[in-house]
Amino acid sequence: MLRHSDIGNPVVIDMKNVGIRYDLGPEVLSDINLSLRKGSFHFLTGKSGAGKTSLLSMMYLAQKPSRGVLNVFGKNVNFTNRDSLALLRRRIGVVFQDFRLIDHLSAFDNVALPLRVCGMGEKEVKKRVKELLQWVELDKHMFDRASTLSGGEKQRIAIARAVINRPDILLADEPTGNVDNDIARKLMKLFIELNKLGTTVVIATHSEKLITDFAYPRLHLNDGNLRIFMPNEGLRGGMRTI
Amino acid sequence: MITNNPSINRKQELPLKDDTSGIFLKVMISIAVFLFAVTLAGVLSINSMLNAWNESILGSVTVQVMPVNSADQKKAKQETMDHLQKTIEFLKKVPEVEHVRALNDQQLAKLLQPWLGDGIEIENLPTPKLIDVKLKSGAEINFAKLAEQLAAVSPLASVDNHKLWLNKLIKFADGLKMLALSILFLVVAITSGAIFYTTQANLGVHRYIIEILHIMGAKDTYVAQQYARQDAWIGFVGGCIGLAFAIPTIFMIAGLADQIEGGIISDAKLSWLSWLAIACLPLLSAMTAMGTAYYTVKKTLEKMM
Ligand SMILES: Nc1ncnc2c1ncn2[C@@H]1O[C@H](COP(=O)(O)OP(=O)(O)O)[C@@H](O)[C@H]1O
Ligand SMILES: [Mg+2]
Repeated sequence: MLRHSDIGNPVVIDMKNVGIRYDLGPEVLSDINLSLRKGSFHFLTGKSGAGKTSLLSMMYLAQKPSRGVLNVFGKNVNFTNRDSLALLRRRIGVVFQDFRLIDHLSAFDNVALPLRVCGMGEKEVKKRVKELLQWVELDKHMFDRASTLSGGEKQRIAIARAVINRPDILLADEPTGNVDNDIARKLMKLFIELNKLGTTVVIATHSEKLITDFAYPRLHLNDGNLRIFMPNEGLRGGMRTI
Repeated sequence: MITNNPSINRKQELPLKDDTSGIFLKVMISIAVFLFAVTLAGVLSINSMLNAWNESILGSVTVQVMPVNSADQKKAKQETMDHLQKTIEFLKKVPEVEHVRALNDQQLAKLLQPWLGDGIEIENLPTPKLIDVKLKSGAEINFAKLAEQLAAVSPLASVDNHKLWLNKLIKFADGLKMLALSILFLVVAITSGAIFYTTQANLGVHRYIIEILHIMGAKDTYVAQQYARQDAWIGFVGGCIGLAFAIPTIFMIAGLADQIEGGIISDAKLSWLSWLAIACLPLLSAMTAMGTAYYTVKKTLEKMM
């Protein structure tokens, strides 16, 4: 679960006996115990419907656990007021599985969103957004409406929006699903760069290639339970609960 | 370059300008402001009318005591004086009364001089006796009650008719004013209610965007401000439209009122201050819409995580 470099770093996400259910349905996740330290990098795997998105959505503070304790940046989310939660969310970048861009806004305005909600001046916003759009090779589409972009372009915009604020935690829900291999590698490089700068990264993915190419520990969801595997440890071989 | 500058063309995240509920609110607010303006003009003119009437009614009252008619002049005169005395005694005990003074014969003669000429012997004429009653400053007397009490003290005593009648009119106008004030209150309440429910429905429509803003770390005030700004504008435009219809209407009603004889309604002039208040209504509607929208957003979002 930990690389040597993470040991001793503060825990940024901490779950104790966390369970989540939707309305009166069965628990989608139960008894999740998990501590993510600052600067760690994990893949999150599991079949479709295993609860990857649900787990991430608790981490990015869109949902509260139905039971158990969730601490983010050392704060118990059940005892944190709305404005303080907003401040915590500003330190978390999210790439949604379905992108969640605002269709009527331009690519520029979508990427600028996290900067504007925390009141950054327009001059600085412009500089940062342009820079990043160049980096994801979308500066040509800067003023196009998000709704006119292709799936791959939307995904890159979604990623740019997630990292524009240099977040302390980056949570990505299948971020390389809609892009070709070259771009997938490039995006992985971006995540790794951010991780080296201290960002805690969790990437939900289906891609076995990604997992074998990049040797990071893996959080695996099955039947509502979470198991952790070290790199190069097959899912069958060394099954361990932690 | 400048023309394509996204920071100049920055769009609001919530496309509130394109919402059809904006048109509904604008129409709603313009009707509300129209009603409010006309009713307010009514309240203000009733007020100025009441002030003018109250001034003439406050301060003093004249009470008259009719002479006793009898063949025996001396006895009749004595009885009249008794009634006068009883009336004066009673009036002195009324709490609102400061000072009571019966007009003497010379003063009466002076009052009657234009009709009867000089050199009349007032004692021998069956003229009513007049009592001048000064009221304490600021005291408001119930004329109807006073008239009743006077009748009990002496059947010959009565309050000046004109004032009694004016007093009844004041009561009526007061009632009218209360009615108008409750209409003003209702108009504001209904409009705020409409803004509350349209805003709440609108938040539902834009839930998708609001969730994104939230996850990006927007505080509730960030969303509330966008609604408040938009609704302030709707409130202002709606208010101006309502006012544009209300002003000619007020003039028309004033014109009709002027045709009523008797000069009673002519006291109902709107002062420039009143006109100023009416002209400021679009600002009031803008502020009401802004405040209600802001409050609604804050209250509604509190239920989200
Ligand atoms: N908003 C929701 N309301 C009701 N059920 C949901 C909701 N989101 C997810 N679920 C259910 O929770 C389970 C896990 O879903 P999800 O977290 O999306 O899994 P994954 O991302 O691994 O595919 C699924 O059975 C799904 O139907
Ligand atoms: Mg999912």
